[in-house]
Amino acid sequence: MRRVIKIASVLFAGSLVLAACSSSDEAAVEENAAPVVKVGLAYDSGGRGDGTFNDAAAAGVDRAVAEFGVEVNEVEAADADGTPERAERLRLLASEGYNPVIAVGFAYSDALAEVAPEFPDTTFAIVDSVVDAPNVGSLIFAAEQGSFLVGTIAASASKSGKVGFIGGMEIDLIKAFQAGFEQGVKAVNPAATISVAYMGPAGDNSAWNAPDRAKTAVEGMIDKGVDIVYAAAGGSGLGMHQAIAAAGGSAKGYWGIGVDSDEYVLPARAEFKENIVTSMLKRVDTAVFDVIAGVVNGSPLTGIQNFDLSRGGVGYSSSNPVVSAFASVADGYAEKIKNGEITVSSTLTE
Amino acid sequence: MTGMISIARGNYSRRVKLFVILVSALALLSFVRIWSDVFDLTSRGTISAAIGLAVPIGLAGLGGLWSERSGVVNIGLDGMMILGTFGAGWLGWQHGPWMGLLGACLFGAAGALVFGLATITFGVDQIIAGTAMNILGVGFAQFFANLAFSKVPGGGETQSPSIPALPAFSVEQISDPLVAIHDKNIFIVSDLAGILSGFFYRLSILTILAATLFILTSYVLWRTSFGLRLRSVGENPKAADSLGVNVYRYKYIAVTMSGVLAGLGGAFLAIAASGVYREGQVAGRGFIGLATMIFGNWRPGGTAIGAGIFGYIDALQLRDSDGTSLRAMVLLGALILIGLAILAIKKNKYQTVFGLGLAGAVLVSWFLMTTALPKEVALVAPYLATLLVLAFASQRLRPPAADGVPYRKGEDR
Repeated sequence: MRRVIKIASVLFAGSLVLAACSSSDEAAVEENAAPVVKVGLAYDSGGRGDGTFNDAAAAGVDRAVAEFGVEVNEVEAADADGTPERAERLRLLASEGYNPVIAVGFAYSDALAEVAPEFPDTTFAIVDSVVDAPNVGSLIFAAEQGSFLVGTIAASASKSGKVGFIGGMEIDLIKAFQAGFEQGVKAVNPAATISVAYMGPAGDNSAWNAPDRAKTAVEGMIDKGVDIVYAAAGGSGLGMHQAIAAAGGSAKGYWGIGVDSDEYVLPARAEFKENIVTSMLKRVDTAVFDVIAGVVNGSPLTGIQNFDLSRGGVGYSSSNPVVSAFASVADGYAEKIKNGEITVSSTLTE
Repeated sequence: MTGMISIARGNYSRRVKLFVILVSALALLSFVRIWSDVFDLTSRGTISAAIGLAVPIGLAGLGGLWSERSGVVNIGLDGMMILGTFGAGWLGWQHGPWMGLLGACLFGAAGALVFGLATITFGVDQIIAGTAMNILGVGFAQFFANLAFSKVPGGGETQSPSIPALPAFSVEQISDPLVAIHDKNIFIVSDLAGILSGFFYRLSILTILAATLFILTSYVLWRTSFGLRLRSVGENPKAADSLGVNVYRYKYIAVTMSGVLAGLGGAFLAIAASGVYREGQVAGRGFIGLATMIFGNWRPGGTAIGAGIFGYIDALQLRDSDGTSLRAMVLLGALILIGLAILAIKKNKYQTVFGLGLAGAVLVSWFLMTTALPKEVALVAPYLATLLVLAFASQRLRPPAADGVPYRKGEDR
């Protein structure tokens, strides 16, 4: 028995040493003497590589790094994180001198409302939510308008007149995508039917991380005749692409529509790109870049910043050439939305 | 001698009973399908999806079974599954899916050995050690996923690049004709054909491996002297020890096996179901696995049936974008309750008859008054079904006698 304890304690001590080694290279990053803008970026769970939302923010930061040479520290939320953990993360970034500090995702709302007043000289920004503080820029997007446009494309591209929508967590933010999409589909084809599935109820963070479940849901839709699906489901969206590829993909007339980032060009979606007709672009990258540019130029963006269609904050991607067949319809509706002829509702009518 | 004959007779009548139950379940399902007009209830797609959703839960349950048969309650299965998903993602992405499979087994086993060290050697309370294991699994995977994947193209702090797929089989020569029979809408025949067709459609090689492991477990634990000793350790370790069985060794073997199986469940999630490691993808399946093991009365066959029921309801609700399939499940539940009420009449238990009959009638009227169930019900349906089944089945269950009791050689407890 004593020998076992000895071995266990040696192993334990060894693991501590290893842990110490792994953290030392982060400490080795030296403070730069030049007054470089240091950007703190707090991702939501999913992080860089989620293929959609967080990757869009990452693209904005990457552009700022290329253009302004800013220094970036990226941190990421875990699935189980509540407001205290998120607040601590933002506080850490702000107290280490990062300015601006950008919180990616509505889940940071309460945390940011708590932390922003503690650092009045730091510019904060939050994506997808409104936080009322003088030093916070609230970056919101008219996702329903962009979803409307991909809805018109889905209705035009569908041969069966049956389209599908996969949502992540069932919350108002995602319901706005569904609402806009349904209005767009109905505008082009009033007889179309729309199958809808959500991956989890409000508060269930695993809804963003369940590609296997999204795959099963899309398979069910395909069996009912659906031939084009739009997913606004974070990391679960991968499952939609897998199901569409398994059904034969674009060669057999099955298409997927991406969200947030231009999924056609994303490395994480490379094997599915031929089936991605378009993506609803939520220009989180533009917004994040604008916030950093504001701080670099000495005129920080604060208050509610609504990135809608007319400001170029949402739209659809045309990097897949097949979308050009449907572009005239979508662009026609885009004009009508911009000049106010059509108002897209962000809530479902039932 | 007479004892043996009665055991044999018991086996025989049990088989007849099982056959009757299976046939009536099929008839019930067929009846519900025709009445509610929901063909997806027994379609190829549903069954195939149900199998895919059942395998990781079943493997976790089988892991729990090994551990608990040796007297160690393993609620750390969820953490071991998470370790398995990480192992599968880390090795699978770099060296192919087979290495990923090996990685998942090794990581699961490593977690189990830590858990075993705490519970078997040091006698730590098994529930506390299991909870610690779950926390450790989450933290370990988070920390190392960050190191392993964050700088890799296609990966991120919480996601691995895609893992190459393992082979999956579709036998169209068998599956397609069966689907044709399913579409003909014949009572029972169509449903049997639909269910069978699902077994020959996009069947992952991991599913076949899982089925083999269930059969092997059943053989090894109940048909070999090794299995008899292992189970005796879970029933009465002192008696086993006095007969020369090395209790500690058997417990370590069982717990390690449990970690390997949980790790394999994680590997199925990462490699076959998702094609990536993703943080949070286990989503509590280790605990559902434990529930199916209890439902299955600590036996492989029962565990498999429990996992199958859960997978089936989960598949139905996921594929059910308009709420009609679950409405049909309400009818199925109602008919089962009414059937139980009729059985209770024979036993003169009139209070039970009244209660079951009333519940059944309420469900039938709910079915008749709605055309589709709300989404909120849909999402909790599999969990609700597990809970109900457990609540009703629990009186007949018998766990291993020394389950959860730490063992100290040579000490009275």
